[in-house]
Amino acid sequence: MKQRRLLDGSSFLAPPGVWLLIFFILPMLSMVIFSVWRTVDYKFVATFTLENYERLTGSLYVNVFWRTLRISSYVTLISLLLGYPVAYFLARKVKQFRLTLLMLLVLPLWTSYLVRTYAWMLILGTNGVINQSLRGLGLIDQPITWLLYSDFAVTIALVHIYMPYLILPLFAVLEKMDGNLIEAARDLGGGRWRTFWHITLPLSLPGIATGCLFVFIPSMGAFVTPELLGGTRSIMIGSIISQQFGVSFQYPFGSAMSLVLMAIILLFTVVALRFGRPAGSA
Amino acid sequence: MHQDKMSQWVFGIWTGTVLVFLFAPLFVVAIFSFNASEISVFPIKELTLKWYVQMFNNNAFKEALLNSLIVAGFTVVIATSLGIIAATGIRSYAGRFKGTARALGTMPMMVPRLILGIALLTFYNMLDTDLSLVTVIFGHVVIALPYVVLIVSARLVGFDDSLEEAARDLGAGTFTVLREITLPLLRPAIVGSALMSFTLSFDEVVVTFFTTGTANTLPMMIWSMLRFGMTPEINAVATLTLVVSMVLAFVGEMSIRKAQTKSAAAP
Repeated sequence: MKQRRLLDGSSFLAPPGVWLLIFFILPMLSMVIFSVWRTVDYKFVATFTLENYERLTGSLYVNVFWRTLRISSYVTLISLLLGYPVAYFLARKVKQFRLTLLMLLVLPLWTSYLVRTYAWMLILGTNGVINQSLRGLGLIDQPITWLLYSDFAVTIALVHIYMPYLILPLFAVLEKMDGNLIEAARDLGGGRWRTFWHITLPLSLPGIATGCLFVFIPSMGAFVTPELLGGTRSIMIGSIISQQFGVSFQYPFGSAMSLVLMAIILLFTVVALRFGRPAGSA
Repeated sequence: MHQDKMSQWVFGIWTGTVLVFLFAPLFVVAIFSFNASEISVFPIKELTLKWYVQMFNNNAFKEALLNSLIVAGFTVVIATSLGIIAATGIRSYAGRFKGTARALGTMPMMVPRLILGIALLTFYNMLDTDLSLVTVIFGHVVIALPYVVLIVSARLVGFDDSLEEAARDLGAGTFTVLREITLPLLRPAIVGSALMSFTLSFDEVVVTFFTTGTANTLPMMIWSMLRFGMTPEINAVATLTLVVSMVLAFVGEMSIRKAQTKSAAAP
C-alpha cells in the first residue's frame, strides 16, 4: 500500500508548486528587494535604504492613495447594493431559469476588461451615447463634460467590470442557507425586514466578505480603467505605479509603492475575513 | 401570498436591470463595429463590414492575433496540466498542509494583475532576462492556474473513490489509474478549465504590458490604439475579442456545469 501511494500527494504538488515559487513567490520577493534599492543615473544600485518609503509619505502620494481607497470603497459598496438582490433572487426566488440567469451573469466576467473599459469611453464621451441621446431629446444644449475623465466614469466602469465577482460567492452562500430558519422566523411573527436583518443578512456575511474582497482588491490595483477613463482629474495609484516602470524608470520607488498597496490590500483582506467568519466558528 | 408575488416581480426587475447594465455596453461596441461612419456616434445611418475587412487585411492585426493565439495556446497546455496535477495532489494529500496547499494554489487570484506584472518585471530585470512572448506566457500561467485548480477541485469533490480503488486493487499502478480512470472522469472539468485559461490569456493586457518585449498581442494592440490614436477598426477588433471570449466561456461554463451535475448525481 505504501509503495503504491508513493507517487500520490506531495510529489504531485511539486511541479505546480515549483512554478508558483519561481513565477509568483520569487517575483514578489524581488519586488521587496527592489524597494530598498536606489535609482542613480537610470541605473539601479543595490543598497539598503528606506527613502523610497519615506518619499511615499509626501502629500501627493498620500492623496492618490486616499482617492484610490475612496473609489474602491464606492465601487465595492455600489456592487454590493446592486448585486445582493440579484444573488438573493437567484438563490431563493427562482427555480426555473436559475442556471440560464447565472450563466448570463457570469459571461461578461470572461470578456476583456480592456474592451469593457473602452465601451464606457463610447458611452460617456463628449460625443458619446449618453450625450448624443440627451441632445437628441432636447434635454441639453451643451454636452455634459464631467461624464468621462472623472471619478464617476472610473467608478461606474469598475462596478461594471467587477460586480459579477461579488454575486457569485454571495449566491453560493445564500443558496446553501437553511430555508427553515427563515420560515421559522416568519412563523414566529418576524416581519420581512426583521427576518432579513436578523437572520438572512448575518448568515450571508461570509459571502458578503468574500464577494466584497473580489471587487475591492482588483479595484485597488486597477490600472487600465483609471488610465483610460480617469484622465488627469482622477488618477489612481495604479497609474502612478505603472509610470515608475515606464517613462520615470524608477523601479525601486515603484516597487515600494506596490508593496504599500499590497499591505493595504492584505489589511483589508484580514479584516474582511474576520468580519465575515461564519457564525458559530470561534 | 400576494406580497410574495410582488417581491418576486421587484427582484426580477432588479435582476433584469443589472443584466442590461452588464450587457448594454458590450452591445454598444458591437453595434459601432458595423457603423459605416468614421466616428462612433448614434444614430447609425449605414451598416458596413468594411472595418472587419480592413482589420483582416491589416498586417499588424494578423501578427498580434497570431501572437495572442501562441501565448494562449501555451498557457492552456501548461496551466491545465499543472492545475490538474495540483488539484489531484491536493485531494489525495491528506496531510496537515492540505489547506495551506489549496490557499497557495489560489493565492495569485488575490493579487491585482498590476502587482503581478510588476513583480515579474522586477524579477526578470534582476535575472537580466530578455522580455519576449515566453516571459509573457510564464505570467499568464500564474493567472490561469488558480482557476484550473478551483474548477478541477470542484469536480473532485463528491468524486467516487471506489472506481480508483477497485482499479488499484486489481493491480493497476498509479499512472494507469490516472490515465484510465481519473482523467476520463475529469474530462468535462479539464475541457472547461482549458477554455477558461484560453480566455483569460487571450484577454490579458496588464501582465502582458509589463512582461512583453517588442511583440504585440491583440489586447496590447487595442491598448496602443486607445492610447495613441484610434481608427474605427478598433470596434471590429474589440468585438472580435468579445465574441471569442463569450463563445469560449459559454462552452466552458456548460462543460463545467455538466461536470458538476453529473458528480452531484453520482451516488
